[in-house]
Amino acid sequence: MFKRNSQNDEHLDRAGKIVLRAAAADEQEIERAAAAPFLFTRVRARIAEQLRENESGGWQSLPLIAWRAIPAMALVASIAGGLMLWSGSSANAPSAAITTVGFGMYEDALTDTNDPGVEQTVLSRNNLSHEDVFDMVIERGVVENKK
Amino acid sequence: MYPATEPTDDVLVAAAAAGDEAAFEALFNRHRRQVARIAGRFFAQREQIEEIIQDAFTKLYFALHTYHGTHEASFKAWLAQITVNACYDQLRRVRRRSEQNLGELTETETKDFSSQLRVAASDVETALVSRDLALKLLTRLSAEDRLVLTLLDVEGFSVAEIAEMTSWSISKVKVRAHRARAHLRKVLCKYV
Repeated sequence: MFKRNSQNDEHLDRAGKIVLRAAAADEQEIERAAAAPFLFTRVRARIAEQLRENESGGWQSLPLIAWRAIPAMALVASIAGGLMLWSGSSANAPSAAITTVGFGMYEDALTDTNDPGVEQTVLSRNNLSHEDVFDMVIERGVVENKK
Repeated sequence: MYPATEPTDDVLVAAAAAGDEAAFEALFNRHRRQVARIAGRFFAQREQIEEIIQDAFTKLYFALHTYHGTHEASFKAWLAQITVNACYDQLRRVRRRSEQNLGELTETETKDFSSQLRVAASDVETALVSRDLALKLLTRLSAEDRLVLTLLDVEGFSVAEIAEMTSWSISKVKVRAHRARAHLRKVLCKYV
């Protein structure tokens, strides 16, 4: 039985070698390929192309960088969005009608769209109106002109 | 140009690595037939062989500075190694492309192939197997199987030589050859 199997394997191995040889190119085809016109020029062109690709490696790596950066950016954006929503809801709370947000600035002053935040803070901290400030500016101008 | 003085391969490699394009061209002209012959064992069409020649010499150009030849046969062996690797890469690409088209042979093809193989197995001298059918059948082998069997059975390289060419260990070449043979037998037993 073993002898029969090994004979069969030998038979198949012989056939396999013939199939492998049959799949190879004949000598004429090999010769034609080796003597193909402009073959060296094509090699040079390929080398030049590869050199160019190596030099512009920064451009080619951009999609890869973007691919990696997009999830990180999405995470940061969602955290920022979450923080914004959270701060918005806490600002709407009744106890936060007038609250300072740091550096002595009032939150109202910063969120007021009509007046610049710093101006509003200065006015509210010093109990001044826009007219008072205007008068002070005019007086200072007159003094400087007299000098 | 270098035809008159016939410098050695090592001299040409050193000059080409230093940027001498004529030296690189001389190497190309001297060895392109060797590369074509190796490629021709794996690929039957002229365009495929030309592709391997271009690929192998491009790889050679970028690896010139890593060559440290010590004897006459060094450069040839090194170039053969680069070419075999280029063929292996191409076999893998071809295999990926043809993976979806791995249909069975038609009934007529099966009959033709069976009769061809029976004759081939009994009388090697007069064996004539259709190239198209052989190529179609060999798409069923992996690139590694095809590589190792071609180098062993068609080119007649030793296991040690194949190990050097492919940068595989000797035991890996042996195991791969054993598996590849078993796989090819399995493919062929339907037709013999």
